[in-house]
Amino acid sequence: MKYLPEIIIALITIIAAPIIGGLLTGLDRKLTARMQNRIGPPLLQPFYDFFKLLGKEKITLNQTQMVYVLCYLLFAIMALIMLVFKQDLLMLVFILTFSNLSLVVGATSVRSPFSKIGAQREIIQMVAYEPVILMMTVGIYLTTKSFMIESIFQHDQPMIANLPLVFLAFVFVLTIKLKKSPFDFSTSHHGHQELVKGITTEFSGLQLALIEMTDWYDLVLLLGMISLFFAKPLWVGILIALASYFLEIVIDNISARVTWRWMLKIVWLFGIGAALTNIIWLYARR
Amino acid sequence: METYLLLAIAILLPVLCAGLCSVIRGRTGRSIIVTAALLVMSVVAVLLVGRITAAGGKLALGLESPIDFNLIVEILDIALIVYIIYIGFSLKKMLISTLASIQLAIVLLFEIFGSVKEPEKVFMLDYLSLIMVLLVSIVGPLVAVFALGYMQEHEEHQHMKKSRQPRFFVIIFIFLGAMNGLVITNNLMWMGFFWEVTTVCSFLLISHDRTEEAVRNGIRALWINLVGGIAFVLGIVMIYSVSGTLAIDEIVSARPGAAFAGLLPIGLGMLCLAGFTKSAQFPFQSWLLGAMVAPTPVSGLLHSSTMVKAGVYLVVRFAPAFAGTILGTIVAVVGGFTFVVGSALAISQRNAKRVLAYSTIANLGLIICCAGIGTNIALGAAMLLIVFHAISKGLLFLCVGTIEHGIGSRDIEDMQGLMKKMPFTTVITVIGMISMLLPPFGVLMTKWLAIEAAVHLPIVLVLIIIGSAFTVFFWAKWIGIILTMSYKTSMHVEKLKVSVKTALSVLTLFVLSASILIVPLFNTFVAPQLSMDALGDASSLTSGNGGIWLGNGNTLNMGGFASIGFFIVLFAIVLTIPIFIRRTKPEKIKPPYMGGENVNDDIRGIEFTGPGDKVESVIVHNYYFKNLLGEERLTLVVNLIAGAIIMIMFGVVI
Repeated sequence: MKYLPEIIIALITIIAAPIIGGLLTGLDRKLTARMQNRIGPPLLQPFYDFFKLLGKEKITLNQTQMVYVLCYLLFAIMALIMLVFKQDLLMLVFILTFSNLSLVVGATSVRSPFSKIGAQREIIQMVAYEPVILMMTVGIYLTTKSFMIESIFQHDQPMIANLPLVFLAFVFVLTIKLKKSPFDFSTSHHGHQELVKGITTEFSGLQLALIEMTDWYDLVLLLGMISLFFAKPLWVGILIALASYFLEIVIDNISARVTWRWMLKIVWLFGIGAALTNIIWLYARR
Repeated sequence: METYLLLAIAILLPVLCAGLCSVIRGRTGRSIIVTAALLVMSVVAVLLVGRITAAGGKLALGLESPIDFNLIVEILDIALIVYIIYIGFSLKKMLISTLASIQLAIVLLFEIFGSVKEPEKVFMLDYLSLIMVLLVSIVGPLVAVFALGYMQEHEEHQHMKKSRQPRFFVIIFIFLGAMNGLVITNNLMWMGFFWEVTTVCSFLLISHDRTEEAVRNGIRALWINLVGGIAFVLGIVMIYSVSGTLAIDEIVSARPGAAFAGLLPIGLGMLCLAGFTKSAQFPFQSWLLGAMVAPTPVSGLLHSSTMVKAGVYLVVRFAPAFAGTILGTIVAVVGGFTFVVGSALAISQRNAKRVLAYSTIANLGLIICCAGIGTNIALGAAMLLIVFHAISKGLLFLCVGTIEHGIGSRDIEDMQGLMKKMPFTTVITVIGMISMLLPPFGVLMTKWLAIEAAVHLPIVLVLIIIGSAFTVFFWAKWIGIILTMSYKTSMHVEKLKVSVKTALSVLTLFVLSASILIVPLFNTFVAPQLSMDALGDASSLTSGNGGIWLGNGNTLNMGGFASIGFFIVLFAIVLTIPIFIRRTKPEKIKPPYMGGENVNDDIRGIEFTGPGDKVESVIVHNYYFKNLLGEERLTLVVNLIAGAIIMIMFGVVI
């Protein structure tokens, strides 16, 4: 068994990530409640919700919805495993795109106007943040001369020293990726918006449970990507990632949703602008 | 000797088939000819692969015979240009006659006063030519097979009294023969001749339906490509005046070094310009967009293995000659710019064929961009993208043609619920679209390689990154629409003509296998070609562990991806689809939420009862951003910018 250690690591990742992600989501709800002067649900509420969803009647709108959900989940897991094994960062981003698009197509595969418009908005969000994330990988390449995540750990300086603006841009688009206010218009984090529940409106029961679980995987993956910026030593990175997550929760609670036109403008102007500025100075310094 | 025979078959068999098609006008006879051509041409192409591999990757052949083939080609070339002049007169388009006359004048002056030394080796085959020969000889005839069924339906739709199919197939076959000639020959003048043949064939095919629009668009294609033809012959004259040879392999392998000044870079720039026109780069894109008035097989052919690929082939072929120079950088910018703008314009289109056309233009831009970057990784990406794009786009055009005959529309918005009417075509179309967009399929792999290759050229890099985000947009919108479906207890069985179904199935098989077998594909064609090109930059492209790996001279890989593992997961998911379909019971099905009571408990959810008991019907359209990215808004501006970039290209090398 040549690959036994790898298989064990992959299994641990697959099991541990949703637990961590779920706990963080519970913490999020707790903190959000406290910020709004509520007591809030128990820490384990996301898991209670998850298991309750599993027990729901299995209804569906067509035969294929579940397939899209599975693609969404499995490709998110694969992206996370690529991170754990320190693979190519650029390809990781593309794999994540696959996962995301699968949910989008799943939402448009039904005739509900709410889920269709939610999906369209999700695509607009992807167009907004994808260039920023791609530029992040380029920034890391310019620093380490490699796209492999492994090289980040072999580099003698933390990435933040060379990529401060790219980091800011990444935290900026993180709000979109986590579907939080002010950029939560593809699926409202808090329900009751003009699109009902947007992209997830027509998913229910097991499907919705798996989507929730995928979001936990994504959360761990994104926080992992943040910690890459500080990955020397790793625990500093993890602390900063948690701090960024706290920041996202604060932003979520103090901002109202913007329109997608605004978002596209803001992200392209400031997100891409900041990342590009950073990258240009890296070029100029070589 | 046997290799000569194979080459002769590759070029002349299509011409023979063309002759047969014009004589045997019955449908059965034509079907036999086309099928036989498909079989023989594919076998010949595969045999050629064996020959080249046995010869160590490069085979240069001279023709020793009493007949002066050079003279024959020259006469044919001149006759062809005279024919173009005649077309110009007969259509009363002086522009065409003038452009062709200019070309004729240059060719005559060059042949008479240039005391041209023709190269001894008339044919040169390496892995790049082989890739093209395979595409032309397999995808091309497959499209012809599709056309057997399609053209019959097409003429029924057009209520044609007298069939013009023989003419159609004659031109298609001449086209394929010329393409094979173009990629096999080692003599620039011969290449110029075949180049013009493809131009004329595309004109004849685009204007095939003889409607006013068809003729107008055919004329546009003709004059734009004639401009490219003039650039081509000017390039030949300039390069010959510097290097004193017409042998392509000698021109390419002469490293520019310090001597990259004077007429050589301008000549190479002229060849690139010819490539830009033929592969419809901005600002020359309008002819390819107009070309879709032609019957679908024509688009399938123009966009996949022939015509536009001739343009990128030319640029990729000569890429080693300008690798690492300022000319290369600006060629990369031209391609990158086309990639972004093509993808952006595709977002605003509702017409399926126009979306595909813009996507083709964008992908050709990416190929040219890679050729311009000119490193090992970039050229590898360019070669791979030529293959993946040709197969996927060939398939997609044939799919759209089939859909159009099925539902009578090529508007994307009309394709909702296509699964109900055409399940087979829908599934195949979706495979085609996914293969253009998502990992681990080939086109995305090359996009990934392109970004990793472009890191040392910031402008190009930003162009590719933005363009890549745009491509996600238009494909995702379309896939979402085409996969919209409501529950049905049993699937409708689609009736398609045998030839249509065969062509679609085989192409789908190619799409899947090319992407899954990317490592063998890379090892057989791309890796040896790269080592022969000996570009001399530090970057390297290797295969291993079921994927492609990139190096930049360090001990560590700079990037890599084991695509095979991801295919396994993908197929595991695909295998679950029948399980879900079988396990879905009618009683589990619910209509979508509409914000009101659904009318008649209709599970599709097309109507609901709104406020005041009024029945509202639900219509959801995609975003198209016409005001932001519409053709009316962008075309003029981007054409001017693209023209400016090309002028800068010549400005810096003069």
